[in-house]
Amino acid sequence: MAERVRQRGISICRPIVYGNTATVLTQEERNTLSSPDHTHRWTVAVRSAASAPDSDIVGGADDLSYFIKRVTFKLHETYPNPTRNMDKPPFEVTETGWGEFDIHIRITFVPESGEKAISFYHHLKLHPWTVTTEPEIPPLEEALKMGPVHSWQYDEIVFNDPFQSFLQTLLAHPPTPLPKTKRKPVPFHAANPGSLEASKGGVPEFTAAMEKEEAERLENAKQAVIAETDKWRNILIEKEKELEKLKRQLEL
Amino acid sequence: MSGASAADVRSILSLPPSGPQSNPSHPPPPLKKAGSGRKPEGISRELYALIGPTVPSLLQSSKPRLKQKPNLGGGSRRVKWEHRNFKNPARKDSLQLQHWAKADDPEDDYVFAKYNVESNIYTYSQDEYNRLLEDSEWTKEETDYLFNIVREYDLRWFVIHDRYEFSGGPERSLEDLKDRYYSVCRKLVRSRPWPGDEASKSQLLNSLQFDKEREVTRKKYLTSLASRTPAQIAEEEALFIEIKRLEQTERRFKKDREELLRTLAGVESGLEGVFVDDDGPMGVSESKKKKKHGGDWESASAASNVISLGTPVPKKGQQSTKASVPSPEEDILHCIHRTSALVPNNLPATKNAHTPVYLRSAKIPVPKPAGLAPKVTAALAELGINHQRLVMPTKENCEKLESLLDAAAALVDLKRAVDRVEQEIKTSRERMDKSKSTSASVAGDAPETPMDLDQDETGTERDAEGEKEDESVRAQSVVSTRSTRGRKSSRRSMSISSVDTSTPVATRATKRMKK
Repeated sequence: MAERVRQRGISICRPIVYGNTATVLTQEERNTLSSPDHTHRWTVAVRSAASAPDSDIVGGADDLSYFIKRVTFKLHETYPNPTRNMDKPPFEVTETGWGEFDIHIRITFVPESGEKAISFYHHLKLHPWTVTTEPEIPPLEEALKMGPVHSWQYDEIVFNDPFQSFLQTLLAHPPTPLPKTKRKPVPFHAANPGSLEASKGGVPEFTAAMEKEEAERLENAKQAVIAETDKWRNILIEKEKELEKLKRQLEL
Repeated sequence: MSGASAADVRSILSLPPSGPQSNPSHPPPPLKKAGSGRKPEGISRELYALIGPTVPSLLQSSKPRLKQKPNLGGGSRRVKWEHRNFKNPARKDSLQLQHWAKADDPEDDYVFAKYNVESNIYTYSQDEYNRLLEDSEWTKEETDYLFNIVREYDLRWFVIHDRYEFSGGPERSLEDLKDRYYSVCRKLVRSRPWPGDEASKSQLLNSLQFDKEREVTRKKYLTSLASRTPAQIAEEEALFIEIKRLEQTERRFKKDREELLRTLAGVESGLEGVFVDDDGPMGVSESKKKKKHGGDWESASAASNVISLGTPVPKKGQQSTKASVPSPEEDILHCIHRTSALVPNNLPATKNAHTPVYLRSAKIPVPKPAGLAPKVTAALAELGINHQRLVMPTKENCEKLESLLDAAAALVDLKRAVDRVEQEIKTSRERMDKSKSTSASVAGDAPETPMDLDQDETGTERDAEGEKEDESVRAQSVVSTRSTRGRKSSRRSMSISSVDTSTPVATRATKRMKK
C-alpha cells in the first residue's frame, strides 16, 4: 500500500508537443493512391517537446511511453476506422487527405499514475501559414515548392500530487531540456504572427528562447497596459474633480 | 590566555598582519634588519611580541595625512567668472535669479535642479475610494485633504501634523495621519496592476508599512525612558547588576551540581536532572536549550550505548524533508513545482482534494468579469496578444498572461468609469445651463404652489427644514432627472430666502449637524 501514497505539495510536468506536418503529394504519388482526390500526406503526432539532434521531425527527443499508455487520434468520420489507437511510440498517425479538420486527441496515462485520460483538439493544418488568419490557399504547385507545412503546439502535462511510485518513474525520466538558442526555424504559431519569417526553411524546433520571447511580449504588453491605465486614471481623477466642482456650483 | 600578542591586537583592530613573511608586498621595516629575529632567552613570547622588533606601530595606518593644499589655480591660468541669469525649473513662475558661473562653462540647466525631487503622492479615483478606501473613521473629504496636505508638505510628517486643520473633523494625532496615509497607499499599490516583478512590489509595500500601535507604544516607551528620575535610573542599574550576579551564581551552581552528579550517579541519570530545571533568571531560550539537550544526549548515548528514547523533534523534520527535497536545479530538470511544503505528508489522499492531471494550456485564464471579456480581448488584440492561446504555455507565461489580463481588465474598467464621469459632467452641465435660465425666470416669478409660499412665509426655520429635505433628495439621486423638482424648489427658496437677511447661517449649520 506504500506505493499508493501521494506525494503532497508537488506538481510535476512533462513538456510535450502535438500537431501535424503536411506535404503536398506529387501527381505520380497521387496516382498510386486508392483515392486520387487526396492532395496531401500528413502526420499527426504527440511527442516530447525537445527535438533530437539531427532529426527531421519536430520534437520527439524522449520516449514518452514511461507515462503515456496510449494516444488515440480520432480522425474525420470519412476515414476508414477513424479512431486510431496508438499503444506504443511513436504516437502518430500518417494519412493522406485533401481537407483540414479538427483531430480529437486523447492521451491515456499509465495505470500507476492513477490519472484519467486527457483530451484536446488539434486543427489539422495542410495549407501554408499566412500572416492574415484568413485561409488563403495557394495553388498546389506553389505549395509544393514551399515545402512541408508544420503546425505544432507546445504544452505541458501537469501531474498534481503524484503517487510516490509514479513520481519515481517520472524522476527516472527527466525530459530533455529545450535548447537555449535557436538552431532551426521557429515553429509558427498563430498567436505570434511575427514569427512567420523565422519559421521558414526547414523542420522547426522548440527552444527556450521562444518561451523567453513570449514572456517578453507579454511583459511589454503589460507595461503598455499599465502605462495606459495610469494615463486613464489621471484622466478619471481630473474628470472627477471637474464633476465635483460642477456639483458644488450647482448647489450654490 | 594570559595576554594578547601583537597579532591579537592587530586582529582585534582588523589591521593587516605585520611581519615580512605574512605580507610580501610590504617591504620589511629597516628595524628588523638591525635587531635579531630570534627572541632572547628568558622572555615570554607574549611579552617579546609586545616589546620586540615586531611591535605593531598602530600609528602607521592612522598617521594623520597632511591636508592637500587646495589648488587655487596656481596662477597658471586665470578663470573668468561671470554673473549670469539662470532659471530654476522648480519655480513655476518666471522668477529670474542670477549666479556666478565660469565663463567657459556651457549654459546648462541649473545644477541643483536635480535635488528638487518630488515625492510620488498617490491619487485615487472615486471608484477606487468606494471599493477599497472606505473607513469609518475618515470621510472622503478629509482623506482628500490629507493627501493634499501631504503633497503640499512633501511627506514631512511633523510639518503636516502641525498644519493639519480639517474643519469639522476629529483631532488627529501624527500616528493617525500616517496610518491613514500609508494604509491608503498600501491598498492602492495592492489593487493596481504592478508593472515590475513581485519582489519590487513587496519592497514598495514594505516601505509603506506602518504599524500604528507599535509606533504609539514606541513613543510611549521613549517618553517614559526620557522621563525617568535619577532614582529610578539608579534602581534599574542596581537591578541589572543584581540579575547578572544571580545569573553567574546560578551558572556556577549548575556546574558544581553537574560535576557532583557525574561523579555520584554516572552520566545518563545525571544529565536529565541537570537540564530539566535549567532556568536562569533571564531564561534561556527554548530552542537553544533543546539543541543543547539533543546534542549532549546524542554524545552521551553514543558514549554509553544507551538505546535512545526517541529522536529529538528537529531531527525528525529534517529526515522527512530530506527524502523529498532535492536541489532546485533538480527540480527544474524534472519540471517539478512545489506548491506548498506545509501540507502534511501523511494525510489520506482524498479524491476531492486531488486536482487531476491537466494540460497547462487548459488553465489559461479567461478575462475575469465576463461582461468585460470582449473589451479586454479587443484591448489585447490591439497590443498583438491573443489571450486564448500561447505559443509556449509554460507556468511562467501562463502567470504572466494572467496578470496581463488582470491589468487589461482594470484598464477597461477604468475607461468605463471615465465614461460614466464624463456622462455625469455632461448632465451636470446641462442642468446648470437649465437652472441658470430657470433661476433667471423664477427669481421674478411668483411661487407656484401654496406650500412653497407657506414655507417661505413661515420664516427661516421651515425654510431651512425644507432645504434640508431637498438636499437629501439630491444626495440620493444626483443624476436621475427625478430630482429636478427638488432642486428647482430649493433654488427658488434659496433665491427668496437670500433676500431675508435675517437667516443666520450658523443656525442652519447646527441644524444640519443635529440631523
